[in-house]
Amino acid sequence: MTSAQEITPPMLARTLHEFEDCCDLVHRVMPGHGIDLLYFGNLISGDRLNRDLLSLIETSDQEQLDRFFRQSQFVRMTDSKELVLGILAGHAAFFYKGAAYTVDVAGDEGRSVTPSEVETTITGPHDAFTEQASVSLAMIRKRIKSPHLKVIRLSVGEVTKADVFVLYIKDIANMDYVNELKKRIADIEVDAVLDTNMLIQLIDDNAYALFPQMLTSERPDAIASKLVAGRVVGMMDGSPTAFSIPASFVEFFSSSDDYYMRWLIGSSTRILRFIALFITVIFTALYVSVTTYHYEMIPQNLILTLAESRSRVPFPPVYEALIMELTIELLREAGARLPSKIGQTIGIVGGIVIGQAAVQAGLTSNILIIAVASSTIASFVIPNYTMSASIRLIRFGLILLAGLWGNMGLAMGLAAVIIHLCGMTSFGSSYVTPLAPNQPAEWKDVFIRAPFSKLKYRPTQQRTKNRLRSQMKR
Amino acid sequence: MMKASAKLLPALVLAVVMTGCGDQRVLEKLGFSQTSSYDIADHDLTEFAVSIPRAEPQAQTKREVLSAVAPSGKEARIKLARQTNLLLVSGQLRNTLFSVAIARNGMEKLLDTLVRDPSVSPRLKISIVNGNAKKLLEKEYKQHPVTGKYIDGLLEKEAIGRTIPLTTLYSFTRDLYDDGIDPVAPVLKDEGDHIKIDGIGLFRDDRYMTKIPPSEGLVFAFLRGSFKQGEVSVHLTEEKNSAKSAIMFSSILSRRSVKVRRDASGTPSIHYHIKMKGAVLEYTGNASLAEDSEREQIERQVAKELTRRGEAIIKHMQQNRVDSLGMGIAVRNRMSYAAWKKLNWPEVYPEVKATCSFNVLINNIGKVE
Repeated sequence: MTSAQEITPPMLARTLHEFEDCCDLVHRVMPGHGIDLLYFGNLISGDRLNRDLLSLIETSDQEQLDRFFRQSQFVRMTDSKELVLGILAGHAAFFYKGAAYTVDVAGDEGRSVTPSEVETTITGPHDAFTEQASVSLAMIRKRIKSPHLKVIRLSVGEVTKADVFVLYIKDIANMDYVNELKKRIADIEVDAVLDTNMLIQLIDDNAYALFPQMLTSERPDAIASKLVAGRVVGMMDGSPTAFSIPASFVEFFSSSDDYYMRWLIGSSTRILRFIALFITVIFTALYVSVTTYHYEMIPQNLILTLAESRSRVPFPPVYEALIMELTIELLREAGARLPSKIGQTIGIVGGIVIGQAAVQAGLTSNILIIAVASSTIASFVIPNYTMSASIRLIRFGLILLAGLWGNMGLAMGLAAVIIHLCGMTSFGSSYVTPLAPNQPAEWKDVFIRAPFSKLKYRPTQQRTKNRLRSQMKR
Repeated sequence: MMKASAKLLPALVLAVVMTGCGDQRVLEKLGFSQTSSYDIADHDLTEFAVSIPRAEPQAQTKREVLSAVAPSGKEARIKLARQTNLLLVSGQLRNTLFSVAIARNGMEKLLDTLVRDPSVSPRLKISIVNGNAKKLLEKEYKQHPVTGKYIDGLLEKEAIGRTIPLTTLYSFTRDLYDDGIDPVAPVLKDEGDHIKIDGIGLFRDDRYMTKIPPSEGLVFAFLRGSFKQGEVSVHLTEEKNSAKSAIMFSSILSRRSVKVRRDASGTPSIHYHIKMKGAVLEYTGNASLAEDSEREQIERQVAKELTRRGEAIIKHMQQNRVDSLGMGIAVRNRMSYAAWKKLNWPEVYPEVKATCSFNVLINNIGKVE
């Protein structure tokens, strides 16, 4: 008691000093009870403070007050730094009888839960994480009703001090991954981390790699499935995106819908996505290399129409393709930045005006429009936006190589991409599992989505001790 | 690290800038010959002609035909190139036409450029023209697509129906260089408004010797190997009243088996047995195909007639000393290599006893009855 008394006055003074010039800080004095109260008026819920605390305090006498502060919702503070952090997190600080207590009265202001816009599915749940980690965490808790679901709180950003949560399921997740993730997050020394997508770039294995090394999602069902599969999940307050580690390349090509549809339909959609990957990566490049070097490859009936539409174009195929690809990227970027109502206009201008007019004006050939359009459409089939953006970028390199060295260049480019992929790791595990190291038994949940009775084991990449996930006899 | 990449980058840029542009074949600047023809010219020279489709929308014609006289194929291409604004390439070559006259003198040397040039497809079709190949190629057949395409379609369709074998550059050269078989190629003929299949040309080594008429094409196919699909018409003489009738088979399934026997002196004899199943689409006789006994009677008659026709073909080939059925291969496969070398097959072949027999089964008699 004596030590607390020694600390308190400077503690209040110091705290007030820390928050000097913060006009949004509220300092209330209740002289009748000897209480000083500090909080940010905009961060807390006035309702909670008045109804749950102040009304009770005002009606109680000294003895009741002593008992009142012993309740568990009051956290006794001894460190003034922690106290400051508490106030910043939306707690109210009470200075009473030389001691400092904080109570969480944070206001839950933030947007309500809305359907996912980035990762929409046809069937299945539609809710998505919000910027408030508490809401997002609740969504996971509601889906995984197990005390084994552990949540560790960390904070990143020297200035911003954002809360980061590491989630895992005890006995399923491998603790090596949990500890490694915790260590990497703790090691971040940067002034501000504002979004999960920014966070994961600060902790990934290969900073210069083309591809994302952590799977990000804003769907609670997808993240819950990752947890149950033994992956470790990270979440950040202020970002509606969660991530899971370790990730593999093929993981980015599965969507929640695959599991909600019947297995044959889910499987064919998966196969479709890999076909889309193929189309988006090579279609335009193949057009360039075939029309520039390998006329032998074109079927007899196509070659005349192709040559006819090419004969009007004044540029070599590689420039033609680059111009068109650039136009499409411009359209896409403009559409992404504009409000959705104006975005529609962009679609019409781009699709009809540019597509139709470019052919008539003799700037591009018909077949190229088809190639560029279908490879762009195919790139949007890939469910993860980060991955699809990475893949779209590869395309430009391949088009250049195809223009320089034809199919040889294309093959070299693809080989380089594959080499790059094989060299990548995600938290120390191979990025291309289950292809290398080869695990054919796991292909049934990668290239197809086998019936649930066949998906008996968790993937090896997670190095979980409990591999068995179902005991269904069928 | 930085220094190494600083040196590597200009090297890479240089490599990118300096290569690549050398061997471009941009589509619209190419004249891809789709059909070429070979005719005999004076003084050991050959007259070459190629047909090139024109793709420009403003072009008046759909194709151009160029011709030149030269001692070799690639030399002719250089001469041909002087006549056009397009870069002549042979990667889209689909058909080559050889006149009978030039085929009689041997085709091996002419085929060399086709086999050697990697851009020429091994699926290139080879055919013989009864008459002048260039004239056939140049001629516009008003009722039909562009001549090159017309020939291509004609050959492909007839090969599916088995009236002619599908002779590609690959199959021709394979049969040419194999021991114990001689190549074959379809023969085309200009018929005024149309081009007509004029039979199957039979070669001895690389020289055209004789042909069998198109009506016997399917019988030749029966003897040459097993196949599915095809149509054959057989003329019958009714046993009862010796009236003439015709029966036509479709959707034929044919299985050929070869039996080789060698007598005491080691001379081989060959027997072909063909099991043929088919659906009857036309029958002009009086017998009832629905009756088992009468149908079997017809089957036996058809088999007899086909055997007669088959043996006539075999005899014709033996007289001309062309082993187009590959009897030599059948014989060779049943003896040691030393014995085969000693046999001197081309000498023995005309004297070999070769027979055939048919087993016919009507598996479908059609809608009526």
